[in-house]
Amino acid sequence: MTMKALLGAAALALLGSTASAQPFYKAPPAQDFDGVWLIQNAPQALKATDGKLPPMTPAAAKIYQDHLAARKAGKPDFDSIQQCWPHGFPRILTANYPIEIFMEPKQVTFIHEVHHFPRLVFLDAQPVKIDDRDQNWMGFSTGHWEGDTLVVFTAGFNDKTVLDPAGLPHTTDLEVTEHIKKTDADTLEDLVTFHDPKMYSKDWSTSLTYKRQPGRRLAEYVCTDVNPEASPK
Amino acid sequence: MPIGRRLGVCLLALGGVLAATGAALAQSDKLEGPLIRPAVSSKDPRDLSGVWFIRSYNRQINATTGRVPDLTALGKSERDRRVQAEKDGTPVADASAYCWPHGVPRVMNSPYPIQIIQKPGETLIVHEVAHNVRHVYMDVPHSNPVKTAFMGESVGHWEGDTLVIDTLGVDPRTWIDEVGLIHGTKLHTVERIRKVEDGHTLENQVFIEDPDYYPHPWYMRDTYAWRPDLRIAEYSCEENNRNAPVNGHTVAK
Repeated sequence: MTMKALLGAAALALLGSTASAQPFYKAPPAQDFDGVWLIQNAPQALKATDGKLPPMTPAAAKIYQDHLAARKAGKPDFDSIQQCWPHGFPRILTANYPIEIFMEPKQVTFIHEVHHFPRLVFLDAQPVKIDDRDQNWMGFSTGHWEGDTLVVFTAGFNDKTVLDPAGLPHTTDLEVTEHIKKTDADTLEDLVTFHDPKMYSKDWSTSLTYKRQPGRRLAEYVCTDVNPEASPK
Repeated sequence: MPIGRRLGVCLLALGGVLAATGAALAQSDKLEGPLIRPAVSSKDPRDLSGVWFIRSYNRQINATTGRVPDLTALGKSERDRRVQAEKDGTPVADASAYCWPHGVPRVMNSPYPIQIIQKPGETLIVHEVAHNVRHVYMDVPHSNPVKTAFMGESVGHWEGDTLVIDTLGVDPRTWIDEVGLIHGTKLHTVERIRKVEDGHTLENQVFIEDPDYYPHPWYMRDTYAWRPDLRIAEYSCEENNRNAPVNGHTVAK
């Protein structure tokens, strides 16, 4: 190769590196949840995978009945979103609004259109020990890959939220484990498992399905603007 | 999350009622925990991904001249009214006091960390403050017409190693600073964001024009420190908003 050709090749390589200087991470296709997704048949009352209500303790059953009655009476004061407070996790997973997911090697980011609330799942962090947990609306989420399934553990909740619009209760002891995977290019499945022994006599799971929304952008949802009742005057 | 950042929430919303900036500033340039990311941002000038924290935050934004930008008669009277209301102990409530999104460029000037996430077609900025989220759609034109939103509509492209973000449609209920620089429906901003100081720092040079409030375009400039030790924490403005406005004025409870 002549010197001129070498220089030309070097220039091309430089150009090439400039043109391809896209720092973006691209996940392997089966692990690529990138995009906008919408829950299917957004559940109003969660059921376990056997189609039945989860195994509530007597204390939980009493609270649940009270919540159902309050909702029926048009006074669902138990529901945090009445005041534009956060849905909290995992309740926000079932809101009938799109979710945009961003993939990075060390973080999977869920942006919920509803309340424009983010959830960050850290793949480079360990779950917080029980005694050191904060009590947040969304908890603290850590994740890892098992094959092409993203396994997310979330804990560290306040007890101001419910698990679903119907009003399944939980305590600050709640721990949620998700197994998220693509079942085809346009379908995401989230198998959500609940552990909260004071409310549920054994762990139970529910399955949520999301469909890809090609070309859709998240809209701006501002609860305290669209909900004058909850907005200060 | 450090307690100091949580306390900053209410202090900041109080605006002039409390001199909050000192307390907030004390947090901003100090590494607090073990490193999560490399000590310096990557060598790729277009890789802005990671967590950044504003330097030299101030409630009052000055133009790059070092002074308050020149104002039209309307801009001056609106600013004077806000300054006086604050002196009187009854600050005019801005969007953040209502727990609404802060708007652009105001959201870029908050003493809380921000995280940039990049993918083809979109640059996302997750702001800890009031769970603000900015979507910047890359290499596409603005919608026609642009729909008004608190955060407006942002489109971006690269010019060399500078990320250029053009924003229109910002809801005029947002302010530009926390003192009294406001804007109307004609607000147009162009941000030029690039890494400087070998990836230790992000610079944002912001062009601002709104002929109703400013007789000529002006510039502001912010810099952000690379913060490999921080994760974005949860921030709920809506819960127990202690500064919920009454009749348009912020009150301290």
